[in-house]
Amino acid sequence: MNAQLPILLFLVPFVTAVAMPILCAKRRSWCRPLTTGAVSVMVILAVTNLRVVLSEGPIEYALGGWTAPIGIAWLDDPLAAIVALTMTVVALLSLIYGRILVAPALDKSVQYYTLVLLFISSLVGIIFAADLFNVFVFLEVAALTSYALVGAAGGKALVYAFRYLLLGSFGAMLYLLGMSYLYAATGTLNMADLATRIPELITSTAVVSGLIFVFLGLSIKMALVPLHGWLPGAYASAPNSVAPLLASTVTKVALVAWVRIEYSLIAPGIEVSHVAVLVLLEDIGVLAAIIGGALALVQTDVKRIFAYGGISHIGLILVGVSLGNSTAMAGGLFYLINDALMQATLFMIAGAVFHYHGARTLDDLRGVSNRSPWLTGALVVVAISMVGLPPTGGFFGKWNIVLGALEAQHYLAVFAVLASTLLTLGYFLRLFSCWFHQPVGIQTEQLQVAVPLRVSLGIASIALIVLGFASDSIVQVLRESLTSAGL
Amino acid sequence: MAELLSALFQRPNFVVFVILFLWGIYIMAAHPNYVKKLIGLYIVQTSVIFFLVAFSAKDDATVPVVSGDMAILDVTSYANPLPHALTVTAIVVQVATLGVSLALVSAIYRKYGSLDEDEVLKRVE
Repeated sequence: MNAQLPILLFLVPFVTAVAMPILCAKRRSWCRPLTTGAVSVMVILAVTNLRVVLSEGPIEYALGGWTAPIGIAWLDDPLAAIVALTMTVVALLSLIYGRILVAPALDKSVQYYTLVLLFISSLVGIIFAADLFNVFVFLEVAALTSYALVGAAGGKALVYAFRYLLLGSFGAMLYLLGMSYLYAATGTLNMADLATRIPELITSTAVVSGLIFVFLGLSIKMALVPLHGWLPGAYASAPNSVAPLLASTVTKVALVAWVRIEYSLIAPGIEVSHVAVLVLLEDIGVLAAIIGGALALVQTDVKRIFAYGGISHIGLILVGVSLGNSTAMAGGLFYLINDALMQATLFMIAGAVFHYHGARTLDDLRGVSNRSPWLTGALVVVAISMVGLPPTGGFFGKWNIVLGALEAQHYLAVFAVLASTLLTLGYFLRLFSCWFHQPVGIQTEQLQVAVPLRVSLGIASIALIVLGFASDSIVQVLRESLTSAGL
Repeated sequence: MAELLSALFQRPNFVVFVILFLWGIYIMAAHPNYVKKLIGLYIVQTSVIFFLVAFSAKDDATVPVVSGDMAILDVTSYANPLPHALTVTAIVVQVATLGVSLALVSAIYRKYGSLDEDEVLKRVE
């Protein structure tokens, strides 16, 4: 039973998604409870999975009983288990939140919930996949469902969804091209197999350009500056109910896929310096962290501020995971978990502010603090975590990245972390100056925030603080799994 | 230069791939019409699939079917089946992408009454 956990995690949402049109065609009100139920089961499975992986070691799952070089393998290691738990928790929170925020037309739509479930199942696939082609297929399933989910809002969102589709599919093609280069050079797609064959081929042009194409493809998916053009528009115009889910998962999962691939190269001890672009990864991350933060500072649309904040954090995580020592890598991955939660909370707040106050831009926010204590509380907690102050998880992620950067003597990375912290502080100060501004002569009766919204915001805020207190053990687990693999 | 040229002429498949790939990117980037952008994307996708097929082609190769015991055949005598399996899957992904993108384009046309990107963007703002 324990050995089947990875596939169960995938099958629960997938089977529910396929069965949804049959079960709910006549009973439209069943869609949401069914989806929420499936994702709750996933959370339970993900917790069990994490416990099993931590106590019994990684699970290598061979689909259909065909083992690795011939068959398709999934690898369920501590990293995958932790990320899978984060993603399922975030998905559950955004579904609970969606109960109030979902547009009535979408709530009665079987297609909408089918897409949400397919999207979640493809995330699980990307996280567990241990060969390049599986990553490609699941990335495409995730991408196709997210184009449709962004477009579900109609109007402006259609244009942004189309732009997202063009760039996203182009990224997928770059990835496929890089993958076929690697296959032509090594004759295998399995990451563990690649790790044994690449070291002797690392000087070959095919391998080097394959890796570069794979990275370029994934960096479009993870919205790395300067390839982030699709993200702000798409997330700012996506339906309120699904924006937290998309914002907190798509980019992070692409980054996890890259970590898996990069890792199968660094683990056998290859000098990455042979691959010209890969030595530049930290510097690209530094640029992304600073430019993303600077762009967030000049936005006026609340959702766009948060979207650019997410772009800047992707840069920070990339800095962490590519410095090449286990401290920075564990810090980066820990920050990734935090970032998923923070993005979800931020987009929940932005959606709720629009739903209750009709506020879209900073100017509309004036006087919100008096009327919505729940939203204010959640915003303060998430702002503390975004800026990175001690009781929250954000601090420990950044702290470990800085420690790793000092260890690698990469002072530019240290500077990037500090600069992006200042920029984050900057755009939150701008946000707060409007949020806590008290206009004269406007009614200040308190607003009753609906219970599901309180639950999801409350759990997310508590989780951000708990992550801070649990940071030591999580970072320790990540570091151990990294060192045991040879980093 | 002569070496490069002779290397290119010995690999016409890859030259065709590069031309198709770049042509597709050009169409995607340069044409303001949404349907033409889609055609560009389709050409890029097809070129990558063509690349997969091109490098797996082999002269006088037979089908990779093992009969009886799993004895390892002479690798030079059969075509590598994996790129073809990848190709089929990639084509499926391509078709799904085309479906979603056409749905989006037709929704944009119904909403804004135009397929021209500049015009649609003007109406969005």
